[in-house]
Amino acid sequence: METAVSHELVRMVIAAVLVIAFVFLNAMIMGYLERKISAHIQRRPGLMEVGPHGILQLLIDGLKLIGKQLIVPKDADKPLFRLAPLLSFTPVVLPLIVIPFGPKLQVRDLDIGLVFILAVSSLNVMAILIAGWSSNNKYSLFGAMRSVAQNISYEIPMLLSLLAVVMITNTFSMQGIIAAQNKIWFFIVQPVAFLIYLTASFAETNRAPFDLPEAESELTAGYHTEYSGMGFSLFMLAEYANMFVVCSIATVLFLGGWRGIPLPLGDYGPAIWFFLKVYGLMLFMIWVRWTYPRTRFDQLMNFCWKYMIPFALVNLLVTAVVVKLI
Amino acid sequence: MHQTDKFIRALEELAASYAEVDYQQRGYHVEVMLTGDQLRRFAKLMYELEYYLVFVSAVHAAPALEGRYQFAHFDVRSRILARVPVGDDGSLPTISDIFQGANWHERETRDFFGIVYRDHPYLEPLILPETSVDLKPLLKDEQQLKNLEEICWPPAAEEEGETSADQEKS
Amino acid sequence: MPEPCRPDSKPHRFFLNMGPQHPSTHGVLRVILEMDGEYVVDPQPVLGYGHRMHEKMAECRPWPQFLPNTGRMDYAAALPYNHGYVALIERLAGIEVPLRAEYIRVITSELNRIASHLLWFGALLLDLGAFTPILYSFDDREQILDILEDITGSRLTYCYFRVGGVSKDIDDKFVERTRAFIKRLRGRFPMYEKLVNGNIIFIKRVEDIGIIDADMCRRYGATGPVIRGAGVPYDIRKSEPYSVYPEFDFEIPVGSKGDSMDRFLVRFQEMEQSLRIIEQALDKLPEGPFMAKVPKKLKLPAGDANFSVEAARGELAYYLISDGSDVPYRLKIRVPSYSNLSLLPEMCRGMLLSDLVAAMGSLDLVIPEIDR
Repeated sequence: METAVSHELVRMVIAAVLVIAFVFLNAMIMGYLERKISAHIQRRPGLMEVGPHGILQLLIDGLKLIGKQLIVPKDADKPLFRLAPLLSFTPVVLPLIVIPFGPKLQVRDLDIGLVFILAVSSLNVMAILIAGWSSNNKYSLFGAMRSVAQNISYEIPMLLSLLAVVMITNTFSMQGIIAAQNKIWFFIVQPVAFLIYLTASFAETNRAPFDLPEAESELTAGYHTEYSGMGFSLFMLAEYANMFVVCSIATVLFLGGWRGIPLPLGDYGPAIWFFLKVYGLMLFMIWVRWTYPRTRFDQLMNFCWKYMIPFALVNLLVTAVVVKLI
Repeated sequence: MHQTDKFIRALEELAASYAEVDYQQRGYHVEVMLTGDQLRRFAKLMYELEYYLVFVSAVHAAPALEGRYQFAHFDVRSRILARVPVGDDGSLPTISDIFQGANWHERETRDFFGIVYRDHPYLEPLILPETSVDLKPLLKDEQQLKNLEEICWPPAAEEEGETSADQEKS
Repeated sequence: MPEPCRPDSKPHRFFLNMGPQHPSTHGVLRVILEMDGEYVVDPQPVLGYGHRMHEKMAECRPWPQFLPNTGRMDYAAALPYNHGYVALIERLAGIEVPLRAEYIRVITSELNRIASHLLWFGALLLDLGAFTPILYSFDDREQILDILEDITGSRLTYCYFRVGGVSKDIDDKFVERTRAFIKRLRGRFPMYEKLVNGNIIFIKRVEDIGIIDADMCRRYGATGPVIRGAGVPYDIRKSEPYSVYPEFDFEIPVGSKGDSMDRFLVRFQEMEQSLRIIEQALDKLPEGPFMAKVPKKLKLPAGDANFSVEAARGELAYYLISDGSDVPYRLKIRVPSYSNLSLLPEMCRGMLLSDLVAAMGSLDLVIPEIDR
């Protein structure tokens, strides 16, 4: 009855719906975890009111944010102001298409999977720049400028560290990279690249201690100062989804992706391992955020250009030599 | 003692009248009476002797407003109060170029009393809003206004017996 | 986008309005920053948003009725403010305060000083982007507030001291709880040091930032931890001792460079010194009355007097002119933060915006105190 094309269409629609649903679900889980864990780090109970241990709080918060009025500042550039949150949301949804949650659980295994993710996720910078510019607020503009400078700078060590892994695997395909780790996970082979990637990913996702674009004690709220309601929450969704993406890349490239001790759950066993690793990394990011103070902007840039890029380059060189020799 | 000979000599050079007062009773060591012309030279002297500015303020009493300046020292136990009657034109020279901290104190005093500080770099309202420039809250009205003698210690106060009961131990 | 510039400023400069509602101006301070990119060219504080004209209020009511006002200036450390005012009236009226009352005053004032420093500690770290330490320090501060609430009846804006003594005697429970608190806080200091003092990000953020030397303090009249951070051991508790402070053995911590780090360390060590004072005071606490006999209608002799105390932020001076009646003729309140803040433009010229926040945090400002 059905042709192969319509099968593919159905598959794509289901995938798109699931991916977007996942982004929202992820933000809810992460929002809850972040608030709960930060609370425990700070020796207070945290969310307690809605549902047992406040697990429904984020649902209520979401409803509240949806119900809120979207305030557009009088002198803002209105089309761009409304566009920016949507624009920040898109680039974080797209990478989820190529992320391998399990051996079969993947929307598309592109040959250039890694390149696709990195290309798409750098679009996020544009959304932040537009948000900061169109708000017509100096604090927002500061946040946007910081964010652009920081994201572009930190993309370099990030790419260099990933390139070292790609040199070993000889493929950009996500499944291919995981397949190459059947003997040993790459964080043992490439510890320097792993550390550099992890550090750069804090900067890429604008998380503390590199959360300068939204440094509230300096810039009130940085680029999303003027956003309210869903405009603001789309930025938050994007931030958490972004965290998920960078942690997924780290998992795929360094932690063996969905590999792990086989669980008696069929095809879902590997997926569980994958999510465990990704959320483990994300919890680590939360832990860091609630422990350290914020760096200063020039220190951040110096750290990138004076330490991380040279180290990443040296690491890449050593990798190239070793790969050539073996 | 709380006071260097240098300070006394310089004061005498300045031809300012001064009185050493009982610290137990008043909380400062020397009271200096100045005229408006002497004020800036006195402030320079204070700066050279490494005093710091505690505050600048004023009081409204019968003949005229009177500016009050307090200085103290970081290393030596010495606290000095200077009294400067405001001239007929309601102005005093600024000392904010010698003690930059006086800048705000003078602006505040102008807010409250309307004393104009000559050559002040930026004599705009500081504490009170710009809209109430004419409101001088600390000026007394006629019934409350006292003569200067009424709010001063009696000259050559010999009341040490009374005040030694104070809890101070210096 | 930038507002029209003043004619004397360069065209690429612009103004950034920080406050009166801004997360790091702690209250209602407003700073107009003239900026060149992220560099601050000229910060100008704007005051008066919390102005209540306490000095005028003092002229409108009898001496003792001004007491509640004194607790409402520096709300983070109100007891030294109580102390300065009652001590000034006692000085003028020649009232002798029972020794026990003086000890109680010292103990509670020092507890209050620690509470204030703990508040500052958390707030500074919050300014630097560390969210957690403030909750740890508030945990400790809460203990102090509970202890003080029991005897003073309030948690923040105390009005506990009275002319001639204190309003309520302390009991064994207070002594016991205070001792327990001293032990607890001593145990917490190593944790703070591990969490904050040795953190490389923190050190890089405050070291060599906002240098204030002794000469600058002199010109601006900056006192308290600011001058001690600059290396001058100036503390009214030692230099013009009042109350029973001479009977205790404590040190004045000083810094060397006068940067934000020195001010941080000075305050941090001051907490330990305050604990020492409290400990000694509890050991020596004499028995006896806690209130002297004070005439109902208090008339002070005509004349002027000054009383300086070491508040948590520096030198607090009450300068009072009496006309011999039962209301003050003029009361000048010299508050430490006022002078400490006035050096902000000179200190922060040419700084990054982030450093301005760090330097301002290290001054430990309480805005209602500045505005009075």
